[in-house]
Amino acid sequence: MPVGVVDQDMSTISRNLTRNLDAFGQTAVVAHYPSIREARTAMQRGEIYGFYYIPQGTSSEVQAQRQPKLSFYTNNTLLVAGSLLFKDMKMMSELAAGSAARTTLYAKGATENQAMGFLQPIVIDAHPLNNPWLNYSVYLCNTFAPGVLMLLIFMVTVYSIGVEIKDRTAREWLSMGNDSIWISLAGKLLPHTAVFFLMGMLYNAYLYGFLHFPCNSGIFPMLLATLCLILASQSMGILMIGILPTLRLGLSFASLWGVLSFSMCGLSFPIMGMHPTLQALANLFPLRHYFLIYVDQALNGYPMIYSWTNYVALLIFMTLPFLISRRLKEALVYYKYIP
Amino acid sequence: MKELTFKQKVTQGIHDLFYIWRREFRTTLRDQGVLIFFVLVPLVYPLIYAFIYTNETVREVPAVAVDNSRSSLSREYLRKVNASPEVSIVAYCADMEEAKLMLKERKAYGIIYMPSTFSDDIVSGKQTHVSLFCDMSGLLYYKSLLMANTNVSLAMNADIKIERTSNTTNRQDEITTYPMEYEDVALYNPTNGFAAFLIPAVLVLIIQQTLLLGIGLSVGTAREKNRFKELVPINRHYNGTLRIVMGKGLSYFMVYSLVAVYVLCVVPHLFSLNQIAIPGVLTLFALPYLTACIFFAMTASIAIRNRETCMLLFVFTSVPLLFLSGISWPEAAMPAFWKYFSYIFPSTFGINGYVRINSMGATLNEVTFEYHALWLQTGFYFITTCVVYRWQILKSRKHMIEEYQRHKAQKAARLLADIDR
Repeated sequence: MPVGVVDQDMSTISRNLTRNLDAFGQTAVVAHYPSIREARTAMQRGEIYGFYYIPQGTSSEVQAQRQPKLSFYTNNTLLVAGSLLFKDMKMMSELAAGSAARTTLYAKGATENQAMGFLQPIVIDAHPLNNPWLNYSVYLCNTFAPGVLMLLIFMVTVYSIGVEIKDRTAREWLSMGNDSIWISLAGKLLPHTAVFFLMGMLYNAYLYGFLHFPCNSGIFPMLLATLCLILASQSMGILMIGILPTLRLGLSFASLWGVLSFSMCGLSFPIMGMHPTLQALANLFPLRHYFLIYVDQALNGYPMIYSWTNYVALLIFMTLPFLISRRLKEALVYYKYIP
Repeated sequence: MKELTFKQKVTQGIHDLFYIWRREFRTTLRDQGVLIFFVLVPLVYPLIYAFIYTNETVREVPAVAVDNSRSSLSREYLRKVNASPEVSIVAYCADMEEAKLMLKERKAYGIIYMPSTFSDDIVSGKQTHVSLFCDMSGLLYYKSLLMANTNVSLAMNADIKIERTSNTTNRQDEITTYPMEYEDVALYNPTNGFAAFLIPAVLVLIIQQTLLLGIGLSVGTAREKNRFKELVPINRHYNGTLRIVMGKGLSYFMVYSLVAVYVLCVVPHLFSLNQIAIPGVLTLFALPYLTACIFFAMTASIAIRNRETCMLLFVFTSVPLLFLSGISWPEAAMPAFWKYFSYIFPSTFGINGYVRINSMGATLNEVTFEYHALWLQTGFYFITTCVVYRWQILKSRKHMIEEYQRHKAQKAARLLADIDR
């Protein structure tokens, strides 16, 4: 990620700092600026995501033990970029302070082990479990792909039932299924299920087979979860058009629920940080349960029993059409299309 | 029909423009569906999103500790971690197996492991390693845990250093711990908040998406209502491309200049998000964004055949567009293909420009690229809109002529039949 340096010291120490900063994996020093103002303008132009400021007189003050002050600025309106840079720049600053002290220690005759033991007695070894590369794609795509599929299922299910009401073909459709709402629904939606499941298998194969994203549970629990998500989403779709049997309103409901799912599944912002009402509401989104199942199974490789509540929740979603079937049938027979 | 002079043509054009503008405005206000997209969604959606992210950061991420050292130093460390705002230690486990079980049961999101040699190492002047295991289901958990532990370790390191050196004054202590001091400045989002980062982008995107949906819906309705399922109605006022495009565009622009004020100025104010824009700059920037969005939506709406299909087509683009804008994952780390692909949509430039102007206080000078790109898009999509409307006008004229000729042929046939009899 591009960063800038405001080096007003122009000394060996400051050049060393710049070089070390450049050597970090996430940062690339792309420009030098004569003053903070110009660096800030470059940040506003979006050329750099942060900059490091080394004031004049740093090296002489270090040598004279007068404690100079370095600073670094990160652009935190881009939270991910800002946080990554913050980590590197903080580390860099710690090392800078350390290297100054280390020079003194070496001069006093300390060995490297002694020096490190003095400078940094406690070291943190961070182990990001099952995503040690901190790969953003792993973090995002595993929920994003099923999320888009879920949104599509919501829309397609609502549309395919609603359009029957709109085109006044609902009665014909019902009579084809012997006037049974269940046969009609199954006849209409089971082919969808097959197509969606094929798409589900494709994204699973792509993510875990082709991209080799962590799948510690084996592929079968994930395929099961995908199937559950598809069936749950279809049932939600039936519920939506059943509650609002107007095509437009049904689709609005589906889009609202579908788009909110991405926020409410707790992927980007954890549920525990939200308002308690929202924490409860989050359970009404199928994607939330799929996300938790994915975390337990594919990411962490826990046995399926640990996420039984989420499987049950998805099963409950699947029973939703039973609640609404009577109203839906009435709507199919008597409802008039309202534009 | 006699030929009109150029001046007459212009007067007639302007006259028709305002006729179309008035008609479009009226249909917008009368159509409940369009009103939902133009008014209700921009009104309510920002509020929902702001409510979801209103807490800005996660506090007190639950973690468990495995303390194999059981010394005063290790207890001090854990106490300090527990006292930090980011982490709360919910249990002290006997061993790692117990701790792992806590993770599996979702009672905690991280394990802090203190090795048995923790205290001994420190006392004997060796480096010691505290291991931190984080559940990676959310990046924010990892960030909180790492931040809390790093801060505590740095603070304790400083204390240990001071103890070991035989300094005499406080100033000497300070210099021992940090021969070079440093400070970090989180610019433009000092709380590191999630809302301050995401909401501005969502706000800008809402404008584009609701325009796509609303215009798509009204176009779909028009097609359902008009004879021959064409986009352009058969009406003597609707016979020039420019007047139709400008007339419709003007009516959308009027509605959206109000919506934009609410979405871009009032909502950030309501939720006290960063708002350091220079008003003039923001207005100047919003202008090409709105026009680019309107013409983009008008061009895209050509694909809409029915009233409701716009939702099937446009809704699911919302979330990918947010990621494509480079606000969540930095543009610098995005594959080139996706970067150039994102240049198709006004939202990419709109989001980047708005965030810089509104949250970072940039002037037009700093967002030149986005500003020019938006004007360029306005021009480009204006031309494409004209082209597709021209095509539609010709098509509907062709239909009309065909119909007329069919009528004539029928009439002639009937006449012939009459004569025969």
